[in-house]
Amino acid sequence: MPIVSYFIKRFLQAAFVVVVVSLLVAFAIRMTGDPAMMMLGESANITEADLHNIREQMGLNRPFLVQYWGFMSGLFSGDLGDSFFRGAIAPLIWQAMKATMLLAIISLGVSMLISLPLGIYAARHKNSWGDQCIRILSLTGLSFPNFWLGIMLMLLFSVTLKWLPVSGFSGASSLILPALTIGIILTASNLRIIRSAMLEVLNSQYVMVARAKGLSEHRVIYRHALRNSAITIITYLGLQFGALMGGLVVVELVFNWPGMGTLAIESIAQRDYPILQTVVTVLAMLIVFVNLLVDVAYVMLDPRIRLE
Amino acid sequence: MLKHHSLKKLALATLLVVSSSSVWADTSLTVAQRQDPNSWDPIDTFLVAWSSAGGSLFDGLVLRDENLKLQPGLATSWEILEDGLRMRFKLSEGVKFHNGEDFNADAVKFTFDRLLGEEGAKGPQRSNYLSIKSIEVVDDHTVDFVMNAPDPVMLTKLAGYGAMIVPPKYITEKGDAHFNMNPVGTGPFKFKSYTQGDKLELVINPDYFGGKPKLDNLTYRFIREDATRLAELQAGRVDVVHDIAFSAIPTVKENDSIEIVSVAGPSIMSYQFNTKAGITKDLKVRQAINMAVDKKVLIDAFLGGYGTPIDSLQGKLSFGYDPDLKGYPFDPEKAKQLLKEAGVKPGTEITIDYRANNAAVGEISQAMTSFLQNVGLNAKLKPIESSVFLNDIVPKGKTDELFQFTWGGWTFDFDNTAYLIYHDGERWNPYGTSEEMNKLLEAQRSIVDQDERLKILRQVGQLAHDNAYHLPLYNEDTIYAVSKKVKGFVPAPDRRMRYLTTTVEE
Repeated sequence: MPIVSYFIKRFLQAAFVVVVVSLLVAFAIRMTGDPAMMMLGESANITEADLHNIREQMGLNRPFLVQYWGFMSGLFSGDLGDSFFRGAIAPLIWQAMKATMLLAIISLGVSMLISLPLGIYAARHKNSWGDQCIRILSLTGLSFPNFWLGIMLMLLFSVTLKWLPVSGFSGASSLILPALTIGIILTASNLRIIRSAMLEVLNSQYVMVARAKGLSEHRVIYRHALRNSAITIITYLGLQFGALMGGLVVVELVFNWPGMGTLAIESIAQRDYPILQTVVTVLAMLIVFVNLLVDVAYVMLDPRIRLE
Repeated sequence: MLKHHSLKKLALATLLVVSSSSVWADTSLTVAQRQDPNSWDPIDTFLVAWSSAGGSLFDGLVLRDENLKLQPGLATSWEILEDGLRMRFKLSEGVKFHNGEDFNADAVKFTFDRLLGEEGAKGPQRSNYLSIKSIEVVDDHTVDFVMNAPDPVMLTKLAGYGAMIVPPKYITEKGDAHFNMNPVGTGPFKFKSYTQGDKLELVINPDYFGGKPKLDNLTYRFIREDATRLAELQAGRVDVVHDIAFSAIPTVKENDSIEIVSVAGPSIMSYQFNTKAGITKDLKVRQAINMAVDKKVLIDAFLGGYGTPIDSLQGKLSFGYDPDLKGYPFDPEKAKQLLKEAGVKPGTEITIDYRANNAAVGEISQAMTSFLQNVGLNAKLKPIESSVFLNDIVPKGKTDELFQFTWGGWTFDFDNTAYLIYHDGERWNPYGTSEEMNKLLEAQRSIVDQDERLKILRQVGQLAHDNAYHLPLYNEDTIYAVSKKVKGFVPAPDRRMRYLTTTVEE
């Protein structure tokens, strides 16, 4: 039963992280100021009574833990409640989540399509001319700030060449630039990790054995080497997921992509706490969940971990 | 030769197709602005982002044109009765809401009952209209506003967001939440669709009582990122951009297909003094600081020249503006002398508080330090998070010697600004002024005679100037970046664009 207790332990850890993060988020958001003031506006003729009324309506007069409990129980029962300014939260989050996930999956796909063959090539031809090129390209890609890259791609393909839409979501062509922006940044870092994971495996004895058995190079690479380096790559992708979400926030803003990042930024500007709190907590849960999945995949991929 | 001919034919054919299609095609205008107001109910908001689109959907009894002159809107005429305690409006006849509902006196009563009642209490507009006691329907096309006290600014406020006339039957049947997302008004454009955070689509209201608009479609896109909004304009996918960053003006000017259209706006920038503590307690010090800053330099450097220096906290379009008010000249020598007279030693420290979230204000505050350095004051900067600044620092009188003060006086009536910042006990007047000031401010509030009011408001401006409660810097222009395809674009100082005469040439 060690494997079951391992999963239970990991699950409890994950749940603990979610509680701590959501508490921190709820607390930090309330430190930033009074949404009632924000709602009434700076130059409105405000009285304390007006402020009190609005706070009462928004439920801001209740004790912090009561507010927090209301939020968390709502989150798990699927009733996310209402935002201050934009009506029910659940459909907003659902729409934004779909847009963000679409972008994330396409970008990840783009990046894997490029980085996997290139990474394998670089590892197999270590220190060759091609490998050097790939390494330089990857370093260059890593050095771009993502918003800058986004704006540059936009200026080239949308403003100068007018091939693609500038921003917003108006069909599949709108996906290309934001996905490319994130894809390029992801590719740069994936390339390095795939190359080094493959290098490590290619130097191992079982690859030598496989070659000695007279297996085809194709079979050696894709059946033996890649599968064994997958553990490193998947772990890395799991860790990178958080960074990917962070990057999406910025890139979504640049391309006015109607996802979680844009939703978060807008609710910050309006101090719409309920939305912001939900967005951040949901994203945190997602990242924790993905990392949990990675741990599970780990065990599945590597029988040795199961035995330990 | 043959090739040449067929090319010519092809070109001719293309030309024909293009020109005929432009005859048939709808004219559409797309506007990009930073913020999505997220709700279209006029009483739910105070955001300028609302009015730039909401002004096309709704009308008030009174409208304010691009020169800020009040014009008949849904009311054809009005008279002030009983010394301002009653205002009588004659209403336009034959006007219908976009859903076919009749506009009449009942709609006016419904609108204001709603604003002053429970629904209005949830939003920020109600407090502007509390001088109204009740609305009395005289007949189908005549209404009386019964006032609690005379309110000389009420007529202007009736052109404001909160006073936009809304359809009673539609709201009663569908509910406030539905109305909020599917607005119906009497304006020149009708609601078609709205996607939160993305766009609002409007179509022509061919029966508009103020004349048929020239555009068939009017779309607003909400794009938060400045660079992206501008890129959309450069790519020709939007025609008008609001909220152009001053730093982007050179880029716009380099582009032959775009132009900047500007008009004096409602926003002013100033620094207020802490008159209760520190060296700024002394009038001479405050006057010296007023003389230490070259406003023109700030305008050229930070606004690309799109602004006007001011000597009171209002622009020249504001009611109450005094062309004869002589401001403090830029005179560093005189400033040094005044500081010396006040016993302030060179190198004395002074702190400027400002809102941290605004990069432009940060830069201006930095420029301020060098102006103050120049007269021997050692200025320190203290950026403060915006909502802390607005909630805890300013209203509670916890500022340092100088604090940033920006103000958007949407009524363009100095009362709206002056009362809130000069009258004792007001939120934005933490350090108090004087009994004389209080009296002036109270007096003009109950006078209906506008000439008399103007005189008093000018006295208010003069008194504030004499006491140097603040360092007024400039009145910002409202600027728009507009594609040259757009014809008949008339910039609104308050961003309440109506696009009645605007058209687009392909």
